[in-house]
Amino acid sequence: MKLAKRVVVLSLVAVLAMGLVFAGGDKEKGKVRIVTTSWRTEDVERMNRINALYMEKHPNVIIDFQPTADEEYDANTTASLETGIGADIIYLRSYDEGLPYYEAGHLVDLTDIIPNLDKFPSAAVGAWSKDGVTYGLPSAGVTHGVYYNKAIFKKHGLTPPKTWAEFIKLNETLLAKGEVPIAQGALDDWTLYEVAFSGLGANFYGGEAARQALLAGKAKLTDPNFVKAFEAVYSLKKYLPRGYEALDYSAMLQMFASGQAAMFIGGSWEISTFEDMGADPANVGWFAPPVEKAGDRLQYCFHVDIGVGVNKNSKHLDEAIEYLKWVAGAEYAQALMNELPGFFSYTPADVKINDPLAAAMFEVIADSDPTVRTVWEKLSAQAPSGNELMGIALPGMMVDKYTPKEAAEFVQSQLETWYPPFRK
Amino acid sequence: MMKRRKRSTLSTYVYYLAMFVYFIVIMYPLYLMVVTSLKPNAEIFKNPLGPPRSFYLGNFITLISRANFNLYFLNSLVVVFVSLFCIIIFSSLAAFILAKHGFKGSTFLYSFFVAGLIIPIRLGTISILKMMIGFGLHDTLGSVILVSIATGIPFGIFILTDFIRMIPDDLMHAARIDGYSEPKIFSRIIIPLLLPAIASVAVVNFIPIWNDFWFPLILLKSQSVRTVPLATALLFGQFSTNYGHVFAMLTMASVPVVITYLIFSRWFLKGLTEGGLKG
Amino acid sequence: MGSNVLHTRRKWRKILFRLGFLLPALLIYTFILLIPIVDSMRLSFYTGSGLIPNTFIGFGNYIKIFTQEVFRERVWGAFTNNIKFFLIVTLLQNILGFFLAMAVTRPIKGAKFMRKISFLPTTLSVLVVGFLFRQILNPIWGILGNFPWLGNEHTALPTLAVAVSWQFIGESILLYTVGIDGIPIELLEAARIDGANWFQEMRHIILPAIMPIVGIVTLLIYVGDFTQFDIVYAMTTTSGNPRFKTDLFGSLFYRTAFSTPARGGWGMGMGAAVSTIMFVVVAFGVGIWFFVFQRKRDA
Repeated sequence: MKLAKRVVVLSLVAVLAMGLVFAGGDKEKGKVRIVTTSWRTEDVERMNRINALYMEKHPNVIIDFQPTADEEYDANTTASLETGIGADIIYLRSYDEGLPYYEAGHLVDLTDIIPNLDKFPSAAVGAWSKDGVTYGLPSAGVTHGVYYNKAIFKKHGLTPPKTWAEFIKLNETLLAKGEVPIAQGALDDWTLYEVAFSGLGANFYGGEAARQALLAGKAKLTDPNFVKAFEAVYSLKKYLPRGYEALDYSAMLQMFASGQAAMFIGGSWEISTFEDMGADPANVGWFAPPVEKAGDRLQYCFHVDIGVGVNKNSKHLDEAIEYLKWVAGAEYAQALMNELPGFFSYTPADVKINDPLAAAMFEVIADSDPTVRTVWEKLSAQAPSGNELMGIALPGMMVDKYTPKEAAEFVQSQLETWYPPFRK
Repeated sequence: MMKRRKRSTLSTYVYYLAMFVYFIVIMYPLYLMVVTSLKPNAEIFKNPLGPPRSFYLGNFITLISRANFNLYFLNSLVVVFVSLFCIIIFSSLAAFILAKHGFKGSTFLYSFFVAGLIIPIRLGTISILKMMIGFGLHDTLGSVILVSIATGIPFGIFILTDFIRMIPDDLMHAARIDGYSEPKIFSRIIIPLLLPAIASVAVVNFIPIWNDFWFPLILLKSQSVRTVPLATALLFGQFSTNYGHVFAMLTMASVPVVITYLIFSRWFLKGLTEGGLKG
Repeated sequence: MGSNVLHTRRKWRKILFRLGFLLPALLIYTFILLIPIVDSMRLSFYTGSGLIPNTFIGFGNYIKIFTQEVFRERVWGAFTNNIKFFLIVTLLQNILGFFLAMAVTRPIKGAKFMRKISFLPTTLSVLVVGFLFRQILNPIWGILGNFPWLGNEHTALPTLAVAVSWQFIGESILLYTVGIDGIPIELLEAARIDGANWFQEMRHIILPAIMPIVGIVTLLIYVGDFTQFDIVYAMTTTSGNPRFKTDLFGSLFYRTAFSTPARGGWGMGMGAAVSTIMFVVVAFGVGIWFFVFQRKRDA
């Protein structure tokens, strides 16, 4: 029968394929498996190398890094924790994105567990603490600035700008020479807000002081200084590539990494991304967000990025805490900064930054007023969240749906529907 | 196919042209997918459209060795085969009753089942999630299998009832006279005759079950239980910076369904046509 | 009396046998497919911060959706997008599907092969198709990357509709093929002897024969499109970029029910309300369909 013959053929193909696929396979018995999770799916290899250091010293423990795609991370983690199947070690975003896990009772109180907690930068500890309880180990922060292609700059005799005027002039030159100045798109909602606005805009709205005023309800996004920041981002529109409206994050990265654009407004975490994509590290340069006027002090977005929490219901609580203590220590800090340059460890230890780009990014901190992303803290606690609104307003502004002023008004008016200090 | 008198008129040429254009439109994306998956990332940029310079398998090796794709394959296979097995058994059991042991209300029951063909199960997602948590099936392949069975039953009952109805009653009478019990009639007489229809049910259900992304996304959380489409979606971020990996991933997710379709296309098309037209 | 006992016993055995055969299918179908839909509607009257809403608030969720601009705007947006999406897909799949079916039913070389090939895309996962199209539209190196299809407010949604139609047109072709194949040859022969031209043949013989199929194809598209999620996820992310211009009910439901507030989540109770609204829309459409097509059939 013809049907039977085909069933046999398919089964043979399936068996053959499975045989090929399962040629390998590992066994692990009598070992404790600690599952760690994060939103950084691109780091699997590098995290495995870092964790290998721990596993060498703890042969009975397996650290299994299982990240989930950024978009799905929070929803997935919430659901997993609520249903008792969460990972043992949970990576936490800062402030209101990490806090719900603690408030729902899923996280271990780490206040007395983390060694030297009082020596960690207090601003970082604050990002994962509530009412004196620290529920996340402040692990790493990231900074925002501008990457550039050294070869393209050299070809046109350009040097990194210090002020905004120089930055604009540089863009004009590149444009005139037929280069694509900035690999930036307007499709993925977060890049324009988290990196371009928070990173480059901080110099215009006045950094941390202005952000604190906003949180207190004493300032509004429609105030002139914030609108100026919107305008600054908008003024870059003419330097974006053709089709920027449809350029998603990975295409942006690819464009810069393959030398098709001169600059990339990015975060420090992209150092290793570009390296993995085959960009020559010696050809990638970086400069800090240009200040508004010569002599201004740099308002530097040094964002509290990664906190590490422990699942209260972990089946291997002791081992998980043991691992966390290692993560809080110097060996992990050094390994992290070697493997993932651009993630700056908060661990109070003498750590060397070996990557020249990361070193450049770190050096600037000393001469700057650090701040974090504009509406990340408190203003994103509820729907419609500040993060989400900025993600609507900024891409909309870049495709001329909103003027910079309207973009600011849009976010402000939506926040006023729920943010208590604005409602007074 | 119909034997029609050949008319080599203008319209025939128009149809030829349409078919040719359509062929290109269908095949180009698939060609692109396979060809790109066989190129290293650097080559994709220099030579995005042409055939690969060499037969590069590195992308596939990476996916299997670094991304556990073999595990996701196994998970998908388990879901598909267990679901199909249950759909076929449960549907043919019910179809046997509905077709040959009608009772008061059996017509209603039949319509009740068949209505499921146009009820989108996704609308019950929240409650399904709640139920799976209650059963302790959340984050297990079992949850997705149950959902797949429920989605497949209406089509199974629909096709199989129709098919069993066409089996002559005399055959069953003869068997009863020979002392066969009803379950024995079912297993010895009905099932063997039913095989072609079962093949249709199996192939038609294979594809949506293999491809289902929604329920795995909602119900499966741990890496160890991911199915191929879920893994494809979640790994997209991890590999999105490497187009070679992306395309290799898409190719691997597609190969099983495409092969199954090509081998079983006759039963597949038959099943679908009946499902669509009598509905 | 003895025969009576025997009779009842036999009757019971018969009932048990029927029940035993029906039960597995009935239970799974009812408990996994039907009851959850009803139960989700019940949950739309609840609220709560946990995974499963537990505080009864009556019509609170609906009042929020219909009176607060932020929520109403999203639901209304998804609704109008979904209607547009459905219309484009319906037009493409019915019209192109029909003409291609005409082509593959001609007694010409390669027609049979094309019948088989035309169904190939339908077998793929929507997700794969979405990612594939996204690469083809990639502004840097995609072959259709010369225009920001997915970035432009006016073209993004039609682009998604084209991708979906590309995938599912095979289904329409298949069904139309069967319809055309089913037309008795004598009828066509007679028409030709009478000197009917192509248009007359089409109007008086072919179209009437395939009208019921148009109905079925449209119904399938309707139910599929109003729960479509995968294509949005793959091509324009769950927030329906650019700025919700490609947000469909499926993506709205996913986002509101299963995402955190920072990513557009509204909580499970609100999510259940969204899925109930979806149900009403789907049921309304299917109701109209039955009214239009089934009545015609009965008449």
